[in-house]
Amino acid sequence: MDTFPNIQLPMSRETAESLKLGDMITLTGPIKATAGMPTHQRILDFIDEGKQIPIDLVEAAFFHLGSYSRDAEGGMEVLYMNPTTSTRFNHMMPKIIRHFRLRCVGGKGGLNTACAEALKEVGGVYLSFLGGGAPLHSKAIQKIEQVAWTDLVSHYRLVAMDVAELGPLTVAIDAHGNSLYDNLDRSAQERRDQIIEKMNQTRAR
Amino acid sequence: MTIKDADIQKLSEDLYSWALRKVPEDTKRALANAREKESSETARRTLNMMLTSAQRAEDGDTFVCSDSGVPVYFVRIGTKADWNANIKSAIRAGFDHLVETIQPPLLKHVTNPMTNERSYAGRHMPIITYDLIEDADYIEIVCSPKALGSGRWAAMELFTFPTLETIETYILDVAIKAGAQHCPPVVMGVGIGGTFDFSTKMAKEQTLREIGSVNPDPQVAEMEKRLFEAVNALGYGPMGTGGDTTVLGVHVDFAAGHGFTPVAVAFNCWINRRTRARIYSDGHVERLE
Repeated sequence: MDTFPNIQLPMSRETAESLKLGDMITLTGPIKATAGMPTHQRILDFIDEGKQIPIDLVEAAFFHLGSYSRDAEGGMEVLYMNPTTSTRFNHMMPKIIRHFRLRCVGGKGGLNTACAEALKEVGGVYLSFLGGGAPLHSKAIQKIEQVAWTDLVSHYRLVAMDVAELGPLTVAIDAHGNSLYDNLDRSAQERRDQIIEKMNQTRAR
Repeated sequence: MTIKDADIQKLSEDLYSWALRKVPEDTKRALANAREKESSETARRTLNMMLTSAQRAEDGDTFVCSDSGVPVYFVRIGTKADWNANIKSAIRAGFDHLVETIQPPLLKHVTNPMTNERSYAGRHMPIITYDLIEDADYIEIVCSPKALGSGRWAAMELFTFPTLETIETYILDVAIKAGAQHCPPVVMGVGIGGTFDFSTKMAKEQTLREIGSVNPDPQVAEMEKRLFEAVNALGYGPMGTGGDTTVLGVHVDFAAGHGFTPVAVAFNCWINRRTRARIYSDGHVERLE
């Protein structure tokens, strides 16, 4: 494997703002993770009710990662973890990003322009994880700090853990409102007619 | 000897477990080829991570992805096979036993759409379709666990006497809509014609075809090549963060129909989960992939 710059968490706003689209990095330090829609809803409900959520997310690295957690001697253990599709949470993320001033969010598939706008306001980035990367991501887990909301199925729980050299992760939305996803969608749309024209020419031969 | 329930149960369980741990050889070759050709550094590195992840899952005998999907099986019964088994309940028993015993354990992905509750079992699970193979003396089973990441982006539309341009434009637009979402580079399966249900079955089956296999129909082979180049020209790239490789293969099948022509498109993500084996009448199992 190639080598990548490792960034210590918690990440400063300055560091987040220095990251450029397409940069690949690894992360070391505390992260929070969940893959659950009901979990996001519960976070929003807690925000609305002014309640403290059991795992602090202020300026955190909060990732859309599904994990298998279970009871073990001395607490919980996580057997494996891997990203889930972030766009499912598009409608919920702007409020969560702003409320906790999330420094890093991530998963796979990206987030929409409204989320990129929220990230810009708080100085946060979106990091793309390799989907189908469970063997790589799981080996980065050093310690499970806390597993909250265990009434939910495993991958919906909110998990706080320490990781070492998690990644590599690709900076896909920067802290200045630029998004690889928006850029690529735009260029695909721009290329569409030309691609169709080329298909027509090939077919005609 | 006769093929029995226990043979079907054991094989359906094995096929699922294999599918979670091993990226098919043709897929690894296609990823490695793509890595050689990519002009984007991010894309090359992402493809490299994919190949590393696949290798570590194999070496560590663990899952490539945390989303083990829902169980989907295709059963093709040889008309000359000697069998006496309740195939449907044997496959269900195989999945139940897998859930109880597999290491590492599976996450709960089987979802009741009426309540969104998740578990390991549910109505019509596993999803099984049946077909026949004339003159064969074996039963062939394909397992294709299907997860949300790529399952979500399949699409179909019905047209009336469409031109090839209309059909191919629709397929391209489905690829644009899926964009970065389905863990590219993907395998794209397309079914054209027949009926509503038959077109989607063809599309799904085409995702299971070997990458690099050439369609025997020259007109369809040309369409596959054209669409392969067209979708890759969109630029989404590995994991949708940019690059030349968005599809590893576009596989098309068609059926005669009436003038109303369904066009169905389905995707398999880069780990391309699919396993295939045959049980012969004498009881021996041949693992094909």
